[in-house]
Parts: sequence; structure tokens; C-alpha cells
Amino acid sequence: MEGMFAIGAGLAVAVGALGGGIGQGIVGGKALESIARQPEIADQVRTLLFITLAFIETLTIYGLLIAFMLVGKI
Amino acid sequence: MIFASALSLTEPLFTIADKLPVPDLIVTEWAIILIIGLFAYFATRKMERVPRGLQNAFEMVVQWTFDFFGQMLGESVAKKWAPLLSTFFLFILVCNYSGLIPGAAYIDGFKAPTSDWNITATLAIIVFFTVQIAGFREHKMHYFGHFIKPMPLMLPLNILEEVARPLSLTLRLFGNVFGEEMIIGFLLMMAPFLIPMPMMALGVLTGAIQAIVFTILASSYIGAATGEGH
Repeated sequence: MEGMFAIGAGLAVAVGALGGGIGQGIVGGKALESIARQPEIADQVRTLLFITLAFIETLTIYGLLIAFMLVGKI
Repeated sequence: MIFASALSLTEPLFTIADKLPVPDLIVTEWAIILIIGLFAYFATRKMERVPRGLQNAFEMVVQWTFDFFGQMLGESVAKKWAPLLSTFFLFILVCNYSGLIPGAAYIDGFKAPTSDWNITATLAIIVFFTVQIAGFREHKMHYFGHFIKPMPLMLPLNILEEVARPLSLTLRLFGNVFGEEMIIGFLLMMAPFLIPMPMMALGVLTGAIQAIVFTILASSYIGAATGEGH
């Protein structure tokens, strides 16, 4: 039973990080692209980039929280 | 188990009149309120026309936040709610950074308050009621009309949306700060020196960004409630 908790905790972080990682990659790539095209809006893009990354990271953090709860049950 | 206890309010540090338990997070919160208050008091004690030093720094913060929320909400609404929103920003920022002080979470009565979901839920509930009051003050009874738009069938969904906001605000702030601290804790268990440093540097960045994100979300909710379309 404890093994199942451990597997679940690992999966919660792994699957959660998978989607978040792909999303953050797309966001970062697009931001770099737009800065390369229009270097004068770099400041605005940077602010929005950080906020967007924070939103995406939150979803991964939900998975992390579940993992901590499961680890606490072992 | 430390993880289980970290998810609820910790043991009370002391009790007031044998009835009101005071956990250590609340003491840290009081200290942070006192520190911000004292800074603000000493910055504005001898106000000068040409600001210097601390007064200059505080005027910069006020100017910057008013401009920022003015762009998001419009001048008249921003004038009403910018003080609250910038207080949120300052308070959450100092709360997040208080976990980086050496010895935090080891000494009794000394722990980052935002790493407990009770504290973040308090902040989110304040935002929830602020949004309702702001919308009501701006549109009076018309404000409640938006619950049955575009049609009365949408009422449950609109209410659900309104209630889901504080929940997501709570979990976002709590999860980020708590996750950050737990990761630093794990790294400290594995390697005590230097290895957790990059994660702590990331913590400085995350702390500031989460404070900004919370404030921006709160202001956009207020903007949606006070804006056109009711």
C-alpha cells in the first residue's frame, strides 16, 4: 500500500511537470520570437512572460502539493 | 509527520486568556505588520516637498502602484482601490521573503506566513468581498444583474465562477511558497551547504512574482466587477 502512495506521488509530479514544461517552452519560445522581431517592446513582453509563466507553474505546483500530501501518508 | 502538520495551522505558541490560541504564523504576521507600519510611519513623519531617502522610496512605490492600477482599472476606480491593492502587494512580498531569513521555520514563532493556506485563504476572502463591494458601489443594484447574464440559466455557473476565484488565489499563493520551502528543505536534508543556493535564488524571484500575480489578479477581478457591461 505504501508503495502505491510512493508511485502516486511520483506520478503526480511527473505528469504535472510534463504538461507545464511543454507549455512553458511554447510561451518562452514565442516571447523570444516576439522580442527578436520587435526589440523595443522587450520590457512589456518580459513582464507578461513572467506572469504567464507563473500561471503555468501554478498548475505544476498543484501536482507538487498532492505529491507532498501523499508522501506525508507513507 | 512534518508534511501533514505543515498543511494545517501548527501548534499554538501561546493562548490569550486560555481561550484564543495564537499559532506562530500569526506572531510572524504581527511582526510583519509592525515592520511595514513602522517603516511607513518613519517615512512620512517629517514630510518634505522635495522627498529624500525613505520618503522618496515610499513615494516611488505609491506613484508606481497608482499608475499601474490606473492603467488597469481607470483613474477613478484606481483611486479608491489602489491603497488596498498596494498593501496586498507589500504585505505578501514581505511575507514571502520572511521565509528566507536564516533560521526561519526552526525558531518558534518565526515562519513565512504565506506557507500556510489559512493565511492565504484569509487574503483571498478579503479579495472576494472587496470585489463584491466594489461592484456594488459602482453599479448599485445593477451589479447583481451580471449573475443572470447572458441568461438566467447561467446563474449557478456564474456563482461557481465567483466562488472558484478565492479558491484558486489561495492555492496558487500557498502552493508556490509552500512548495518552494519544501524543496529547499529536501535539498537541505540531502546537502547542507551551497547546493540549495540556486533554489533559494529562485525563491527570491518566485516570491516577488507571486506577490505581483496575486495583486494583478485581484485588480483584474475588481476591474471586471466595476467595468462596463452591467
